[in-house]
This record gives sequence, structure tokens and C-alpha cells, in this order.
Amino acid sequence: MDLDANRSLITTALARIPGGDRAALQTVYRLTSAKLFGVVLRILGERSEAEDVVQEVYLTVWRKADQFDSGRASPMTWLIAIARNRAIDRLRATRSSRHMDPIDSAAEIADGAETADRALEKSEDNARLHGCLEGLAVHERHALRGAFFDGNTYDDLAARMNVPLGTMKSWVRRAMVKLKSCLET
Amino acid sequence: MSDTADHSGLPADELLAAEYALGVLAGADRAAAEQRIARERGFAAMVAEWEARLSPWAAGIPEVTPPAHLWDTIAGALPSETPPAPTGGWWQSLAFWRGLSLASGALAAACIGVLIYRGTVPERPPLMASIDGGGHRHFVATLDPARGSVAVAPAAFTADATRVPELWLIPADGRPRPLGLLRADGGVVISIPQALRPFATSDAVLAVSLEPSGGSPTGQPTGPVIASGKLTNL
Repeated sequence: MDLDANRSLITTALARIPGGDRAALQTVYRLTSAKLFGVVLRILGERSEAEDVVQEVYLTVWRKADQFDSGRASPMTWLIAIARNRAIDRLRATRSSRHMDPIDSAAEIADGAETADRALEKSEDNARLHGCLEGLAVHERHALRGAFFDGNTYDDLAARMNVPLGTMKSWVRRAMVKLKSCLET
Repeated sequence: MSDTADHSGLPADELLAAEYALGVLAGADRAAAEQRIARERGFAAMVAEWEARLSPWAAGIPEVTPPAHLWDTIAGALPSETPPAPTGGWWQSLAFWRGLSLASGALAAACIGVLIYRGTVPERPPLMASIDGGGHRHFVATLDPARGSVAVAPAAFTADATRVPELWLIPADGRPRPLGLLRADGGVVISIPQALRPFATSDAVLAVSLEPSGGSPTGQPTGPVIASGKLTNL
């Protein structure tokens, strides 16, 4: 699905939800559920649990659609943030992260995240983020990736990359500073 | 960018916002960030900015189609009463629409009524269609070219137990374009995608097909087309 082409459709449908329009929620669901299910499944790793969370996501959208401000945010950014946060809530409430295999910071990891990085180059915005992520040190990029795609906490990341917690926190924080600075130039 | 830059380059608030958006916080730290999002506009805005910076990363996560029953579960969990829309009232009343659609000639009155009710009489005149099939008027549609929207109300249409009605725009080239799902129990207003608006003219046809819950998965009608009607000038 071409998310950009659907942006106005999603925005229009979101605007109708606060009036109690179920068909509008269904439109949002049709246009976005495959993406959001993919995002949630990536974090949780279990289909049945991901289905539960996607249900929570759309009920949250139903309740909070009036808070979406199309002048300030893209609808997909807003929806993906809700999906990631509900998935992370579920992850934190049940047990520790499903993705705990060691990350060797000397080598690029080959998993879905690599595909995600390559897919970034498609649009201009995405190309910018991709370029900035490439500018990070390898260990910094791996740490951000573990948090973003796998829902890892600082503790998880420290364990996966075999470094003290304090070191991991400064890696991530430094990477975020670099990322912001790079995206603003 | 200097490699010697450290995290003192961002204020503590913004670092917390970034950590929350990345998803790396847990326990009390995460809860504290959530409380601040709910209470502090400035902090919530910082989180939103970080979400916008990071969300393109999700572009490459493969889409996975959820099972077909999931929408039904969601729909079943919605509040049972649909609250009236702020601009609703009689316009969304099924009885009103059924009554109007009974009398021929009432269509035009309905269109004009809607436009007057909204306080906008557009320069480009509205189009209407009576979407009929099998000897019944199933839906009544009014299309507002100025707003790029089409309002569709059920007339004699009766809900199908397993399938939902989907509206299609069929321009002169004969290829159906999906507009959205309709309801058996009330009017809907559908915003016509920008790309399709040039096709929404008086020589196009509106058609309704019955589709699986959630609508046609293919972008083309997969179920029976039960009714259609030509768009005509009011």
C-alpha cells in the first residue's frame, strides 16, 4: 500500500470518528491495519497477542481521534506511535523482551531491521533518516534498532550488547543527540 | 557533527521525550513520561516531534494482514450507541431518509435541504443518484463537487448478515473505483479521494456491491453489484 497516497483518506476518516462514525473507523482500519499489525507483531512476536493489541490500538483510535491534529502530525506517525506504545505496554506487562539474542556490535545484524533500513531510501524523508542513521557508530545504531524494532529496554540492550547499563544509556542518549542534529541540518 | 558531542547537548526534558518515543524506558520512568505527556503540552509536543523523526524507520517493517475476524471483534467492542454527530440531528435520521426517498421528487428537496442546513450553497451544483437494483431504491446519494464529498443514505437497502455494502464510482472508462463502506442504519458522508474527483461528473455511475467485512480486499468489487445509478445534475 502506498501510505502517502492514502494520507488524505486516513486524515479525512480520522476527522469523522469523533462524531461516532463507525464506518470512518473501519476505513482507517482497512487502510492501516496491515501496517500496524506488522509493527505490533515485530515487537511481540506472537500473532494472538498481536491481534489483542491491534484491537486495543483501534479502540484507542476510536477514543482519541479528536486528539489527532492533522496540521501537526502525519496520520501514520500518530497511528504507528499508538501501535508501538500499546505493544510496548503489553511487552512490559507480561515479561521481558522476546528479542534477547546477543547483538554483536562488530557486525551488521541481518534481520528484518536491515530490510527496513533499505526500504527507507524510497522517499526523501526516509532517505534523510537513513543517511543520519548511517552516520551513527555501529553500536549506537544497533542499540536504537533494538529499542525501536524489538521493544528493548535499557536493561535488555545492556544485556544483549554485553555492556554496563550506564554505558548503554550514554550510547543511546548520544545517538539521539547526533540524530537530531543530523536531521536538522 | 563532532564525535565529542555528548548528551548534555539536549535538555533533560527532551532526552526523556526522545527515550519515550524510542520506547527504551520501562517501569517508573515510562509511567512518569506518560503522566507528563497527559499533563504538559510542551512535553507532549516534544514526544510527538521525536515520534515524527523516528517513524519513517517503520516504513520497512513488512505489512501483515490481520485475520478477517479481527475487525468484527473491534466493531463488537465499540460502544453500542452511536452518539449523534455534532452536525447530525435529522440528517442522520434513518426515518427521515426513508420517508424522503419514498416520494419521487423528494430527492432534490433532500439535496437542497442538506446544502441549506450546512449553510453552503456551492457554485458547482451538486449531483445526485438514486442507486437502484431489483426494482428497489437501495440508496440515495448526493455528491457535492465543491467539497469533494458524497453523502449516501439507505432507502430500501436491507443489511446482509455477513457482507457489507461498498460504494463504487464508475467513470466513463468503466473501471470501478472504491469510495468507501455504506451503512444500512444511517447516512454516511464519504470524502472522495483527490485523484478521483475529476471523475465525479454527471456521466459517472455510482454502484453498490456486497463485500466481506472491511470491504473488498482487492480494490475491485468481489461480491455482487446489487444496485447502481447514474449521477445527474440537480
